[in-house]
Amino acid sequence: MMTNCHRLIIHIHVTVLLCLGSYGLIPVSGQSPQTKEYFWAFNPPVQPEIPEIANKNLARSPIDQFIFSQLKQNQLLPSAEATKAEFIRRATYDLHGLPPSPKAVQTFLNDNSPMAYENLIDSLLASPHYGEKWGQLWLDVIRFAESEGFEYDRHLPGAWRFRDYVIRSFNEDKPFDLFITEQIAGDELENPTDDQRIAAGFHRLGSVRRNAGNPEIALSRNEVLTERTDIIGTAILGITMGCARCHEHKLDPFSQEDYYALQAFMAATQEYNHFMAPQEVIDEWNAKTNVLKEKIADLKEKKETATEAEKPRIKSEMDELNSQMPNQLPTILSIKNDPEARTKVHILERGVWDFKGDPVKMRPPEILNHIKPVEFEADLKHPRTALAEWLTRPNNPLTARVLVNRIWLNHFGNGLVNTPNDFGFNGERPSHPKLLDYLALRLVQGGWQQKPLHREIMLSHTYRQSSRTPASVQAQTIDPDNRLLWKFNRRRLQAEEIRDSLLAVSGRLNKEMYGESIMLPVEDELVQLLYNPDQWQVPDDPKELDRRSVYLIAKRNLRLPFMETFDQPALQNSCGRRESSTHAPQALELLNGDIANDLADSFAKRLRFEEQETVNDQVDRAWALTTGRKPKANEMELAMKFLEDQPLREFALAMFNLNDFLYVH
Amino acid sequence: MSTNPQHMHFCQPHSRPTRTRREFIRDAFCGFGGLAFASMLHAEENRYAKNPLAVRIPHFTPKAKSVIFLFMSGGPSQMETFDPKPLLNELHGQKKPEIFGEAKYQFVQEDAKLLGTKRTFQRYGKSGIEVSDLFPHTATCVDDLAIIRSCTGDSVVHSAAMYELFTGRVTPGAPSMGSWMTYGLGSESDSLPSYVVMTDPKGALPAGQPMYTQGFLPANYQPTMFRPGENPVMNLDLPEGVSLDDRKQTLEFINELNASSLLETDHEFSARINSYDLAFKMQTEAPEVLDISGEPQETLDLYGIGKKETEDYGRRCLMARKLVENGVRFVTVVSGGGTGNLMWDAHDDIEENHLRMAMHTDQPVAALIKDLKRRGLLYDTLVLWGGEFGRSPEAQKGVGRDHHNLGFTMWMAGGGIKGGQVVGATDEIGLRAVEKPYHFRDVHNTILHQLGLDQHKLTYPHLGRDERLTFLEGKLIEEII
Repeated sequence: MMTNCHRLIIHIHVTVLLCLGSYGLIPVSGQSPQTKEYFWAFNPPVQPEIPEIANKNLARSPIDQFIFSQLKQNQLLPSAEATKAEFIRRATYDLHGLPPSPKAVQTFLNDNSPMAYENLIDSLLASPHYGEKWGQLWLDVIRFAESEGFEYDRHLPGAWRFRDYVIRSFNEDKPFDLFITEQIAGDELENPTDDQRIAAGFHRLGSVRRNAGNPEIALSRNEVLTERTDIIGTAILGITMGCARCHEHKLDPFSQEDYYALQAFMAATQEYNHFMAPQEVIDEWNAKTNVLKEKIADLKEKKETATEAEKPRIKSEMDELNSQMPNQLPTILSIKNDPEARTKVHILERGVWDFKGDPVKMRPPEILNHIKPVEFEADLKHPRTALAEWLTRPNNPLTARVLVNRIWLNHFGNGLVNTPNDFGFNGERPSHPKLLDYLALRLVQGGWQQKPLHREIMLSHTYRQSSRTPASVQAQTIDPDNRLLWKFNRRRLQAEEIRDSLLAVSGRLNKEMYGESIMLPVEDELVQLLYNPDQWQVPDDPKELDRRSVYLIAKRNLRLPFMETFDQPALQNSCGRRESSTHAPQALELLNGDIANDLADSFAKRLRFEEQETVNDQVDRAWALTTGRKPKANEMELAMKFLEDQPLREFALAMFNLNDFLYVH
Repeated sequence: MSTNPQHMHFCQPHSRPTRTRREFIRDAFCGFGGLAFASMLHAEENRYAKNPLAVRIPHFTPKAKSVIFLFMSGGPSQMETFDPKPLLNELHGQKKPEIFGEAKYQFVQEDAKLLGTKRTFQRYGKSGIEVSDLFPHTATCVDDLAIIRSCTGDSVVHSAAMYELFTGRVTPGAPSMGSWMTYGLGSESDSLPSYVVMTDPKGALPAGQPMYTQGFLPANYQPTMFRPGENPVMNLDLPEGVSLDDRKQTLEFINELNASSLLETDHEFSARINSYDLAFKMQTEAPEVLDISGEPQETLDLYGIGKKETEDYGRRCLMARKLVENGVRFVTVVSGGGTGNLMWDAHDDIEENHLRMAMHTDQPVAALIKDLKRRGLLYDTLVLWGGEFGRSPEAQKGVGRDHHNLGFTMWMAGGGIKGGQVVGATDEIGLRAVEKPYHFRDVHNTILHQLGLDQHKLTYPHLGRDERLTFLEGKLIEEII
């Protein structure tokens, strides 16, 4: 993955290596003035000059000027525009994760006004589907899941509210600095709103190991703090702080002290489930629950010493009491500071919790302190607010760059830095460093709002290029992977997009937003693989099964085979860039799988219902729905021949397997 | 499939007809294959780079091609199986003498008393290695086994220990060894998945699905989870009311449409067409391999198929043999599933639990070794046996044993492993590996080595690191290779 980019940026690489001697000699202390001064990612973005270019008539935005000028340096040319039909399908998938309706396509094709493209992007950005698509991508980055993983895989109460909060925030175009602040420190804000408490549930979303038997409190606490620290490094700063947990970072200038000083911001952070009910209701609920819990505990003790003959009776008594338990109150999964239970943070030798080194105070990593480092006392009242304030400072060299790179990557398939979770030495160097800084500063200057950035990117010529341009000899030699963007990158639909599109084209998509997560029916064998198979509860209302994939439960120990097969992230670590693999089980899934076959039936019914005149019309309609275009003559011919002796549902199934359906050009 | 002539001979009845891959593609789909053939050829030239499951050349000459992992989930006891401890019986009922040092358990408290074993040991084979009376069948294969009595892991809790055994980390999210080996070597089979897991139909394991999966590797390297029953592979069977002939027409239609706009240089779309060919091949050829009804009665009897106690594990072991015979790279056959006592997790009563678990598995395990051997497959199939930890010398609840990670037994056979020997030792009560301790990472590294893979070269970039199976560097178990 790295090699091709390396070729491109080899000169930068060489410069860096010359500065540092060699990888083996890279200073590890973070004190080194060399690394601080020379490594690009740790210096704040600088407003770049927008390059002058010759082919101005194509350029629609400064973005194009950056891209074109680098193309020219490499004797490459930008591609012509994609067709309007390609563009609307591309833009709709990029912003909604759904296909455009044939009507929307027709309207756009007929719109000859000079503002047609602008109007399209504006209306797509204004739709709530935008939050569903881009919310999911953020959920990938912060390893969102609704269960704790490991043995028990306990469900996190109300975790779905966090997913809704993310979708709402994207749809409101909440400034990213506020969005980050709410997630890092929402509970510390003055009179936090429900949404802010929900946002702070960010710290609860990692895997948590619970175990029966002898408790290992200090070890478990260390695991939790480690998880919470690492995700901040990866998701927000795009650096692998985790490496510095056990040793001085071998590749980046972070010391172990830097790591534990960052961890110290979370020292007082404890799990907290906030009930959304008036106090008297909560008190009553607690009283009732406690009485029952005590009774159950007594019985459990009794059962330990009971004879085999007595056990069944005791068990049925326990079951009876369990059934009397009041329903869980609506809960916000959150955290709070508990100064009493504050963990004393030390440097841990080799990261092992009981090899304690020197105690550390909380402060941001030293390398990133372009303003004099501030150390805070352990009893700081709002420690995470201080952290959030530092993360979102306009001159923080990483936060804005990392975010705009994620946006870019999800539009073009490659990031400007193609290792979106690693901006360190081991990551790739930016293909267009000045463009990255330009975008990062645009974001900050524009009040950290993302929608204007999407708009600017998507209206550029760079984004409007065709993906079908054949590679010239020069392109094949210099840039076979298209990192310089001499054309647009075709991409396969993501797992959720495939399922959502199948639902949409077959007319079954239930567009209802928000709410508790849905569990789809899956093979019993998979459910039986759960520690507690009762956790898997399929809703009674079949319409619920046709909701968008972002509303399906994100359960660590049971992922849908369909999603797994199409490269949905594993829900364990941050995923900044999805894989897109091609293999036979995908074909089997779309040919023989339940989801594809069930929806092929519906798709055939829809075609029959909507186009009653001729088979020709049904074929036309099928192509319009799945690919956003008319069938070509040879396609029509093949389809008509196929339908002579094959049923419409087999035709419908075949459409689900078309490259032009599964890929966006 | 092998350079061993004996192996070739035995393979014959099961190996595929001599039609090559190219011929197959050309012939596939009533001649349509020819249409895609040109692009395929091109794809094949680039397959090393473009087909992630293409056979890859190992880093050095391998001794093994496939691995079968007989996973005894829950943690079988070393003292009851392969590691006799006479002193433990002498000290039965006493507190552990201080000289043996501390151990941290999940449940057992400090005041626990040592628990002697009721098993008896006997010497077997030319090697004269002692095996307990739990395993009379396995004992007859002892000259093929390299028994490592000094295994260690880092966790005493099921889930974390299982993650470490399968992936090298105590946390979920890293690829399992089966995925790593498929990534490193590709798939030898066109019609079967390259990495198969056969779980115990009795139920789930504490670490759940994530321990088997490909973690941060692409989905090409995901395990195929075989289901119990007649149709083990998901989506291989056609939906109700659809005939194979109809579906073949649909497939042709799909391929014609997808090929109609295919550019020769389009490797990704060529690979997609290829994946449909393979899917169809799996659909038509895999069921034949997966069907054990054609096996001779003698073979079925060997595995204990037809006997209630051994029916399930026997079937799965026989299937494992058929899979490696047909080019599957890595097969995990799990013994134990469901809560606690349905695994080898003998907290309550070591006797009841281990007698039962051994009765289900001993004969099938031995049958697998013998069957592989007589077919010449043991030559390049490495078999690994063991759990995520062993069990405590101290008693839990009087007659049970707790989890224990400081010293326990695993064994390997075949794939160039030198059998008929014991490596390493625990102390006199079976508490701690005191001689040549070998960690899971050493076991991983040794398996990689037998497959011709270098632990430092088999890497994948993830979150800023070139990750590998042996998170910390593993040693080679030199004695057995």
